[in-house]
Amino acid sequence: MDEVVEVLKPIVDEDNGNKTYPYYIENPVTENRVERFLEAFAAVLHFTDYKPLLDSYCTSNAKCNRCAVTCPVYLATGDPKDIPCYRTNLLLDVYKRYFTFSGWLNSRFSNGIDLTEEIIDEMLNLFYRCTACRRCTQECPMGVDHGLMTRLGRYVLSLIGIVPKALQVATREQLEGETRNTSKIPKIALMNTLEFLSDEIEESFGIRMDVPVDEYDREYVFFCAVSDYLMEPETLMGNAVVLYAAGDWDKWTIGGNDFDGINYGLFYSDWHLENIIKQLVHEVTRLGGKKILIGECGHASRSAHDFVPVFAGKETYPVLNFMEYTLDCIEKGKIKLNPNIITERVTYHDPCNISRSGWIVEQPRKIIRSFIKDFVEMEPHGKNNYCCGGGGGLVSVDEIYDFRMNIGGKMKADQIRETGAQIVISPCANCKKQLKELVEFYELPCKVMGLHDLILKAIEIPGAKSAEERKEEAAMFEM
Amino acid sequence: MEQWLDFAKGPLFTFAFLFMILGLFRHVVLQIYYLIVRKGKRLRNAPWKKIILDTLSWVVPVKHFIPGTAFFSSASFLSHIGVILVPVFLADHIVLWEGFLGLNLPSISSGFADVLTLFTIVCLIILFCCRLFVGRQRAMSGTMDYLILIMVFLPFASGFLASHPKMNPFSWDMMMLTHILSAEVLFIMIPFTKLAHIVLFFFDRISGLHWQLRPGAGDKVADALFGKEARV
Repeated sequence: MDEVVEVLKPIVDEDNGNKTYPYYIENPVTENRVERFLEAFAAVLHFTDYKPLLDSYCTSNAKCNRCAVTCPVYLATGDPKDIPCYRTNLLLDVYKRYFTFSGWLNSRFSNGIDLTEEIIDEMLNLFYRCTACRRCTQECPMGVDHGLMTRLGRYVLSLIGIVPKALQVATREQLEGETRNTSKIPKIALMNTLEFLSDEIEESFGIRMDVPVDEYDREYVFFCAVSDYLMEPETLMGNAVVLYAAGDWDKWTIGGNDFDGINYGLFYSDWHLENIIKQLVHEVTRLGGKKILIGECGHASRSAHDFVPVFAGKETYPVLNFMEYTLDCIEKGKIKLNPNIITERVTYHDPCNISRSGWIVEQPRKIIRSFIKDFVEMEPHGKNNYCCGGGGGLVSVDEIYDFRMNIGGKMKADQIRETGAQIVISPCANCKKQLKELVEFYELPCKVMGLHDLILKAIEIPGAKSAEERKEEAAMFEM
Repeated sequence: MEQWLDFAKGPLFTFAFLFMILGLFRHVVLQIYYLIVRKGKRLRNAPWKKIILDTLSWVVPVKHFIPGTAFFSSASFLSHIGVILVPVFLADHIVLWEGFLGLNLPSISSGFADVLTLFTIVCLIILFCCRLFVGRQRAMSGTMDYLILIMVFLPFASGFLASHPKMNPFSWDMMMLTHILSAEVLFIMIPFTKLAHIVLFFFDRISGLHWQLRPGAGDKVADALFGKEARV
């Protein structure tokens, strides 16, 4: 077992009371961090394609501060160090000083900016205060992608061993462990869980649906955030009943060797991102699948949708988010949802990873409006939504709970409160965990659910118990 | 003074203008070179439609009018109108372009140019004040951020005074020399400062393309740094 130590203890600034929030790191490097950082940065610049973008940003970065008013973290703290542009410039200044001619020339005439241990401390703190939601990017007149810059900063830091232990342990298990998934769920436990889910569905619907595992030559190979198997059974049952009701039961399968859609590489490392994608693609190829179907998870969807075409080469597969599939089924009349089942006021939280690009914005709303009468939007929403505060992998870092609650998620909690909703739909495993913690922390009078949790309640399947019957049974059970 | 003016208008102007053009051209060539050489086939996978729509949305940035920065953003956008129109289409400048580049551009009336100039000056002063008095902007502002505003302000202010002798407290020659020299300093500084967004504006906006990471690069970085050791 590696030694785990606390790199930075929480520090309270005596003047303004601001806290710096640390995270756990395995075997932290304490010596020559500056040299090692520059060495790692040089290697990254040499082998990757970030250089032209950094050149462009370095020259034309306007520091206009529009990003400040879009950032939920800055809006919560008011600390200039939380301005996205400030964070990006931490990295750009180092790049300019050490990797450009003008930076070198400048350093001959003045002392300028030198990379110091203090700046590395500031980076390891600030890069993980960003939820990588990229809300700032769409309002930057220069188009500076602060999310990409934060990710690059984290990547270089990770190469000198500075990365939250929670992320590192999860990706190690996913790539090198026996279970090949981030939650360390062995296949036997998966089979037991699926058995349990089938039993639950049978009890509720009166129909037996045995979830297919390791079936070959199916159209869809299904991946979800693996934590859903432990934490969100209703979402998975919702997914299953939609596939069943749509008549696609024999067209999908779960891969027995790799059933985890999570890809934390998206948040901090090109190497991990690529290898996890390759592992996922390998599983689809092994099974002879045609399409990758991703369950309710924002970053799993984005990493597969955006990076399978980049890293899979000729083995590439189309990637569908489950909500796209469900909407298609509704529009084609393959499934029917009872509009009288969900009577509570419902709001919808857009996971940044699928909504910021505009990919999944309207689909869930169309689904919701098809069977939920009292639907209210948060303001702002859609492409312009606020992050839940747990994005960029932060939700997995338990030791920064205070930060996620008091700072990262403050804007989201205010938004939810203003809607007066009783149910917050969040089709993302990470957002769900963060929002559930927020609801508890701020004592908000609502519950957090996945979209397919509600579909599970409202779906009508011919030959099965009706939605009304199931609702009555559930009510009796609750009594 | 006459000789100074001739020198500033002649060889110095040619040098400054060509310096700016070559400097900006260098930015464009390097960017395109990197994109074609390093990105290659991945250029096809980039979300071009989104990138182009996003770029166009900033030409008339109505949808980017967000609370909290309305004053700054409006001044910033509106200042661009004068900064682009006056130097290019002012009647006095048209003569310059005709002699220098052989271009016969249409001109704007001097009255309209005056209004635009004053408008731009006011916008620049607002931008300067925002940096001075808005805490979060001050926190992010460095010397160059203020200097650039002054560098843009000077040719506009001196040009306006030179063309309005009644308001000009100095001699016409002096003011015209200030006008030309300040514009030339600005030309020379453009490729080195954020004013290079004249051409980099588009290349800044293609982060969607840069998310198309280089396959195998992560392995190479890890090999270079750690050899074949475990890297997870």
